Amino acid sequence: MKPNFIQKVTNWGNYPIVEKEMKSDDSFRKIKEFIRDHNEVIARGNGRCYGDASLGEHIFSTKKLNKFISFDRLNGVIECESGVLLSDVLEISVPQGYFLYVTPGTKFVSVGGAIASDVHGKNHHAEGCFSEYVIEFKLMVENGEIITCSREENADKFWSAIGGMGLTGIILTAKFKLKNIESAYIRQESIKAENLDEIFRLFDESESWTYTVAWIDCLQKGKNIGRSILMRGEHAFQHELPQNLREKPLRLKKKFEPTVPFYFPGFVLNALTVKLFNLLYFNKQRKKEINNFTDYETFFYPLDAVHEWNRIYGKSGFIQYQMVIPKETGKEGMRKILETIAHSGNGSFLAVLKLFGRHNPEAYNSFPVEGYTLALDFKVNSKLKKLVDQLDQIVEEFGGRIYLTKDSMSRSSLTNYLRNTESSKFVSLQHKRILNNK
Amino acid sequence: MIVLGSTSEVAQAFVEEALNKGEKFEKIYLLTSNRETTERFARHIDVKFLQQAEVIELDLMKEIDYTRFEKISSGLLFCATGYLGEGTEEGLYDNKNTERIIDINYSKLVPVMNYFAHKFESRRSGTIIGLSSVAGDRGRQSNFIYGSAKAAFTAYLSGLRNYLFDKKVHVMTVKPGFMATKMTEGLPLNPKLTATPKQAAASIFAAYKKQKNVAYVLPIWGIIMMIIRNIPEFIFKKLKL
Repeated sequence: MKPNFIQKVTNWGNYPIVEKEMKSDDSFRKIKEFIRDHNEVIARGNGRCYGDASLGEHIFSTKKLNKFISFDRLNGVIECESGVLLSDVLEISVPQGYFLYVTPGTKFVSVGGAIASDVHGKNHHAEGCFSEYVIEFKLMVENGEIITCSREENADKFWSAIGGMGLTGIILTAKFKLKNIESAYIRQESIKAENLDEIFRLFDESESWTYTVAWIDCLQKGKNIGRSILMRGEHAFQHELPQNLREKPLRLKKKFEPTVPFYFPGFVLNALTVKLFNLLYFNKQRKKEINNFTDYETFFYPLDAVHEWNRIYGKSGFIQYQMVIPKETGKEGMRKILETIAHSGNGSFLAVLKLFGRHNPEAYNSFPVEGYTLALDFKVNSKLKKLVDQLDQIVEEFGGRIYLTKDSMSRSSLTNYLRNTESSKFVSLQHKRILNNK
Repeated sequence: MIVLGSTSEVAQAFVEEALNKGEKFEKIYLLTSNRETTERFARHIDVKFLQQAEVIELDLMKEIDYTRFEKISSGLLFCATGYLGEGTEEGLYDNKNTERIIDINYSKLVPVMNYFAHKFESRRSGTIIGLSSVAGDRGRQSNFIYGSAKAAFTAYLSGLRNYLFDKKVHVMTVKPGFMATKMTEGLPLNPKLTATPKQAAASIFAAYKKQKNVAYVLPIWGIIMMIIRNIPEFIFKKLKL
C-alpha cells in the first residue's frame, strides 16, 4: 500500500467537492519540502469555511500544528501553532478568566484560519476583527523561509496575510491577546422585532452593547418583512450572577452534544419545513423581551452543540451567502434582499443580521466595512445560481461586497477586494475562479 | 509517566487524556529520537496542564546510553514505539527495510522495555502499556514482516504480564487496528474501522483504568480479528489480505 494523498476534500458547506492532494505534518522541515515540491499550494485549517476557499491543487492541512507554545496568565497573551482551534484556546483560557476578543459563530475554526479570514463576531461594531488582537505570527513564505510578521516587523506581510485567504503563505504559529472575563456567562437580552424598521431601530439603540446580533425570519413578506429577534449581551460579572452560578463562575457543566448521524435526504429541507422552523423559532419566545444569563457556549456557538449539523442539508450541500451593504443605503438594500429571497421561496434556515462598525484601514483585506451584514444558508439546488445572481445584482447596486470565507458562486466584482496577495506558489481554487470570471 | 515513542500521536493523545481525566504525575519523561518535535509537545502540556515534562533522547537504531535513564522513576509506562516500513510489494526483499522493522518493533525495543520492566519489578507496582498491532494476530501477505515483529512483541508483552503478575505489576497489550496517524496518512482506510488518536487514547485510558490485559481500540476489531484468526489455513493461504 503506497500512500496516496489524493482525497475528496470539501469545506463545511459540502459544496463544492474536489479530489485533490491533501497532506498534513507537524514538522516545519516537511512543510518546507511540501512547498518546494509543489506549485499551487494552499493551507487549510479545520475546513470550517464554506465554499471553495481553502481548496486547491495541493492542500496543506495545518491540523497537526496543534500545540500551545506559551500562555502568559498574568497578561492574557497566548501563543500557539496555527492548527490549534479556538475551542482549544477557550478550554484553557476560560477557567483562567480569559476569553477571545473576537470569535466567529463557531469555535471550531483554527487560529490560522481566523487570521487568514480575519474573522469577525457579534462585537464588530465595538471591538473590530480578530486581527486587532494579533500581536505577531510566523509565516512560511514562497521559498520556505519562516518570517515573523507583526505591526513592526515585516508589516507589509502582516497586513496582506490578514484576511489574505492563505494566498500569502502558510501561517505556522500566532500570538494574540485575550480579554479578561469574570465569568463564563453572558447577561443577555432578547427582544422581538415585528419588522425591518423596528430591528434597525433596536440595533441603533443597542450600540453601547458589546455583542449584538439578530436572527431574521427571511420568508416573511409585506409589512412583516424583517421580523426578527435581536440578541444583545455582555460578559457577566461575578456579582451579577444568580447564586447557583456564582460559586464557580468560570466552569461550565459538560453538556450532551448530539451528532447528526448521516446526510439527511434532500426532501427534508424545503420551503415548508423552513417556514415551520422559522415560525416555531419566532414563537418560542413568548414575551416581547427576555433578560437572562446564558453560558458562553449557548450565546456564541448555538450550532456547535449539534456536531456535523451541515449534514441536514443533504449530500448536495449548501452555501452560505454573506454580504455587507454600506450603512447609508443599508436598510434599503436589506429590504430588497429580503424581498428577493421571500419571492424566490428559497428560504434560509439561518439568517443572521449584524451591524458592522468601521473598517480598519490597515487591515485592507478584511471583509467588514461599516454597514449592515446578512448571512444566509441556502441549500444547493438547480434554482440557487439564479437567486445568487439576483442577490449579487442588488449587492453590487448598493456598493456592497461578499465575504470570501463563505463565497463559492458570487460574481467576482464583489469579492475582488483582495490586494497584495499575488503569488505563483500559493493559489486557491477560489482565487482562480475569481480571476477567471473577471 | 514514561513515554517511549513520544512523537506518536496516540502517545501524545494518551498523555492529554490522562491529564484531562485528572491523573497526576510528578514528571512526564518523554523518550524520543526526535527532540525538536517532542520539545514542542513538552511545552504544550506545560502550557495546557502546567505539567512538567522532560525530553530524553532515545534512538533505538543507535548505541543506547542507559545512564540517561537512571533517574527516571514512575508507576506508568506507555510504549508507542513502532515502525511500519515498506509493505511486501516494495520492501520484502530489501534487507535494510526488514531489519529496521524488526529492530524498532522488537529486537532493539525489548531490551529497553526490559530495563524499565526491571524498575517496575523493584517497585512492585505500576502499569506497563504496550502498543502492539492487529497485524501481529495473523501473518498476512500485505505486511507480514511488520506483522511478525508485532506478533513477537505481543508474545513478549503476554509473557511479561505473566512474569510480573505476582510482582504486582500490570502489563496491558493494546492492538489498535487502523488509526488515522502519521503512520497511515494517505492510505485508503475505511473510516468506520479507523480511530482518531483522540478516540484511541480515550479507549486505551478506559482500558487502563479497568486493568484490561488485552484491548482493541475499536471493539469491532476484536470481532474482525477473531474471524481472521479462525479462518482455516488452507483457505487463509488463498486469500488476498
